[in-house]
Amino acid sequence: MMQRSEVAVNNSTIKRSWWLILLIIAFLIAPLVMSKFYLTILCEALVMSLFALSFNLLFGYMGQLSFGQAAFYGLGGYVVAMLITKLQFNFWLSLAAGAGMAGLVGLIVGYFCVRLRGIYFAVLTLAFGQLIFVIIFKWHKFTGGDDGIQGVFPPEYLRSIEAYYYLIFFVCAISAFILWRIVNSPFGQALKAMRENPERTEFLGIHIARYQLIAFVIAAAFAGLAGAVWVPFYRSVAPSYLTWIKSGEPVMAAILGGPNIFFGPVLGMFIMTFVHSYILGFTHFWPVIMGTIILIIIFVLPGGILEFAKVKITERREKAKIAKGQT
Amino acid sequence: MNLGYQCMSFDVLFNQFMSGIARASLLFLVASGLSLTFGVLRVLNFAHGSLYMLGAFVTYTIWKTLLIPVVGFYVATFLGALVMGGVGIIIEFFLLRRLYARGWPEQLLATYAIVLIITDIVKWGWGGEFLSIPRPKPFTGAVLLFGFPFPSYNFFIILLGLTVVIFLWWLIYKTRFGDIIRAAAHDREMVSALGIPIPWLFTWIFVLGSLIAGLSGAVTAPFGSIALGMDVEIIVECFAVVVIGGMGSLPGTLLGSLIVGQVYAFGIMFKPELALAFIFMVMAAVLIVRPWGIFGRPER
Repeated sequence: MMQRSEVAVNNSTIKRSWWLILLIIAFLIAPLVMSKFYLTILCEALVMSLFALSFNLLFGYMGQLSFGQAAFYGLGGYVVAMLITKLQFNFWLSLAAGAGMAGLVGLIVGYFCVRLRGIYFAVLTLAFGQLIFVIIFKWHKFTGGDDGIQGVFPPEYLRSIEAYYYLIFFVCAISAFILWRIVNSPFGQALKAMRENPERTEFLGIHIARYQLIAFVIAAAFAGLAGAVWVPFYRSVAPSYLTWIKSGEPVMAAILGGPNIFFGPVLGMFIMTFVHSYILGFTHFWPVIMGTIILIIIFVLPGGILEFAKVKITERREKAKIAKGQT
Repeated sequence: MNLGYQCMSFDVLFNQFMSGIARASLLFLVASGLSLTFGVLRVLNFAHGSLYMLGAFVTYTIWKTLLIPVVGFYVATFLGALVMGGVGIIIEFFLLRRLYARGWPEQLLATYAIVLIITDIVKWGWGGEFLSIPRPKPFTGAVLLFGFPFPSYNFFIILLGLTVVIFLWWLIYKTRFGDIIRAAAHDREMVSALGIPIPWLFTWIFVLGSLIAGLSGAVTAPFGSIALGMDVEIIVECFAVVVIGGMGSLPGTLLGSLIVGQVYAFGIMFKPELALAFIFMVMAAVLIVRPWGIFGRPER
């Protein structure tokens, strides 16, 4: 069922891309019409969307649930924060270093994880994620421990919210495009084949562990990039960026929006970020609300919002077809 | 490393070893419930640490309200464990039961949602303070082990761990219920075909797991202190335990707890801030040789 719909998306990409162009224009003019408050939230939603997309490369396409993705997100953030505050390193190179470092650590962690499947993979990524968290949390002299690092400033020309918003938007848009190309490339098809039937894929001569390791490194690098681009905007980084609570957010976003659709996690993250900022206005009990939302989605909307919408639209079209055939 | 003459003496090592055993005992208490639930239900309960934390706080409140002299702590522990068993029934009956037919990611995420909800319940009900129960008689003092004071309450923890090991061993390998458990872990459809109600079995296993989680939470209150965040702390170590030992295996959990407990105890001697990191290094080493843990079996 899924493969058929993906082919359908490919066929009519051009016909349907009008909404994407509209969306890009909307994002470009957003700073002109939005208040600073909402622009800040929009920045967060964009960065978190990139984070969720990196996670969904593994979850939606490769079929492996990583519960330690926040470690790479936080790692990217820490590398940038330390390079900028301690060495006054070039901002753009810092961003690249953040993504690169996350990818490198992803290579080491991934080496152990890709040999496992299912729950075992989830537990192992969680354990490694917590390991990285603990190292950063306890290594007070080097990382600032639970104080985190403050005063991470971007260069002068990126100090205003509007300017930085455009940076975030372009980084996220380009990254999303690259990820989109990856999942639609032969490499992406191989990942999907592994998800559907690992044995058969192996018989076709595809080295599963190697492919999954490459995907793991890519996902880690993009998660690191998301963290790297976020920290100078927020001006600080803290160990809480690496906890499993943070790792749970892209999981939830993917399930909320729909992991089988490329932009599903993005929709999920946008809903979560805006609901979060709204709820923080009157209560600090965000986790209980997040937990309740998760349970509601699992029970009411299996497959996510976009999947639900897709099913409804197809149903309607088929009904219309039947009605046409009868007249 | 300036260990040299300062601490390599036998008595220090032995003392460290004993505190490692005490820690292993506590880890086993928590991880055994986790492993049991996973072995039979095939659901990895992220919320197991939260049940442990909630058990600790509930026990504290029961102890504080009852204030029975001498045996107060034991009564509170017993009642606290029972309450957590009840919470287990609610979670299994209203949530997990409806998800067995679905994929494991959804089950995992549902238990993760319970983690978030219980965190806020504890925050709302007890606040972010550190709470503690004084050590109960007769485990108030310390015993001298080769001249070093060793809290006698640790012996209580070790004893309790041993009791639970023996109880679980008896339950799983010596009773009819245990036969059913092992059969269901192997092939639940076959067991179901033999006329044994699987949903009923699942409820009881989950309740047993929650009960042990509550019990282990209860006994930590005099061990150190209880506070928000103790759930994540313990669950991560428990994951290391079950990953090293093999998920769903009781002997594996026991061995995993002993390894993690000792690595932690001796790791703290070398470099306190990296004690946890050592555990994960051992875990990585085990995984290179046996990706499914020492006693684990490859997933189907």
